Amino acid sequence: MSISEKLEKFMFTEIVAKLGKKSLNPEEDLLEQGIIDSLGIVKLVSFIEEAFNLTIDDDEILPENFQSLNSISRLVEQKTGYK
Amino acid sequence: MDFSLTEEQLTIKKSAIEFAEKALNNGYKERERNCEFNQDGWEKCADFGIHGLSMPAKYGGLEMDILACVATMEGLGYACRDSGLLFAINSHIWTCESPILKFGTDYQKDKYLPGLCGGVLKGGHAMTESDSGSDAFSMKCKAEKKGDRYIINGSKIFITNAPIADILLVFAVTDPQKGFAGISVFIVEKGFPGFSVGKPLDMMGLKTCPLGEVVLQDCEVPEENRLGKEGAGAAIFNSEMEWERSCLFATHVGAMEKDLEECIRYVKDRHQFGKPVGKYQAISHKIAEMKVRLELSKLILFKVAWLKSQGKRAPIECALSKLFISESYVENCMEALQIHGAYGYSAEMDFEKNLRDSIAGKIYSGTSEIQKNVIATLLGI
Repeated sequence: MSISEKLEKFMFTEIVAKLGKKSLNPEEDLLEQGIIDSLGIVKLVSFIEEAFNLTIDDDEILPENFQSLNSISRLVEQKTGYK
Repeated sequence: MDFSLTEEQLTIKKSAIEFAEKALNNGYKERERNCEFNQDGWEKCADFGIHGLSMPAKYGGLEMDILACVATMEGLGYACRDSGLLFAINSHIWTCESPILKFGTDYQKDKYLPGLCGGVLKGGHAMTESDSGSDAFSMKCKAEKKGDRYIINGSKIFITNAPIADILLVFAVTDPQKGFAGISVFIVEKGFPGFSVGKPLDMMGLKTCPLGEVVLQDCEVPEENRLGKEGAGAAIFNSEMEWERSCLFATHVGAMEKDLEECIRYVKDRHQFGKPVGKYQAISHKIAEMKVRLELSKLILFKVAWLKSQGKRAPIECALSKLFISESYVENCMEALQIHGAYGYSAEMDFEKNLRDSIAGKIYSGTSEIQKNVIATLLGI
């Protein structure tokens, strides 16, 4: 499974499905749409660190890195060097 | 698995106890009656190194690891009767000093950390508003960028240390479209134009810890005083809360230990109907339950401290720890008061003060209800 597929699966089962959404556009603005809240970010960061065996520094938890599924994927790709 | 403190940690804890007993308790009852902050105690704690326990030596800190910090705080909680002073110091460390160390620029760290570590500067953070307590990120305080500065407008309430603070980390909305991700943090000095503090608030307990309202009216803050990037407010707040929930409650564990010792002494000495009251199951069971809460509090406290010392995130453990320790402290204070009967109810002893002080722990750093929400959400519910 690619990075973006793993992230999409997590986002969908843990965050998005609870909102009754049937799909998630990879460019959809998660923050402005209120799709993810601050606790959701905490869950997501914990998942990313465990699933990809990396550390996300607290000063990387910024809107530009968590705005959309694509931006989250880019962050993880950058930190792992994989796609 | 070795649950004991190391020799070094035990020595540090013992030093903190000796220091607190000698230097911090004179006049605490009168200060509590008069709602008076212990400036002398603050300075003595700073000289002892409390304010800079975990800070790097280059800023005047002692570079202690988190486990040693927790052991020190436990010792202070055991021996210092002035809970308000300990609360003021803990807020200064975990909600002001620690975020500046973690998220600050070199300019900010060099400018503020030496003063904060030395206790010469007093700090805190300004998050809560009259309409946003538990729903912290629904705040209304706004920061608009104009040229090389931000103009902040809004008000904050129940701000620990506000009446005595030299700097406060003020949380304000910089991008209303982004909800919680549109909040930024600013290091605001008391002398900045447009910044003012209302009179201290009269609270049920922690009466020696100054708490007040903060008003920002076209308050001008230079851009170099923004802490972290725009939008980093939620991350900074969550990081602060993990540390606060881990370390601040160490003082409660120390206080529970002291209270239990006093109760055990009392129930052996106090005789009613021809025998020590401790021989009655109604009383001995209370003591046993106090011991259970104390020991489990120690275990969760040190588990969290250990996780943080390994550089790990511990959001659920911090919530568990804060919830359990704060609620245990209230229950233990209530039982200590009840065990002592009318003496416990009297203001001549400390039990009623301890109970009043303990109740705040169920509210600050996120209420017990919020901790339960956090735990449930992180369990996937």
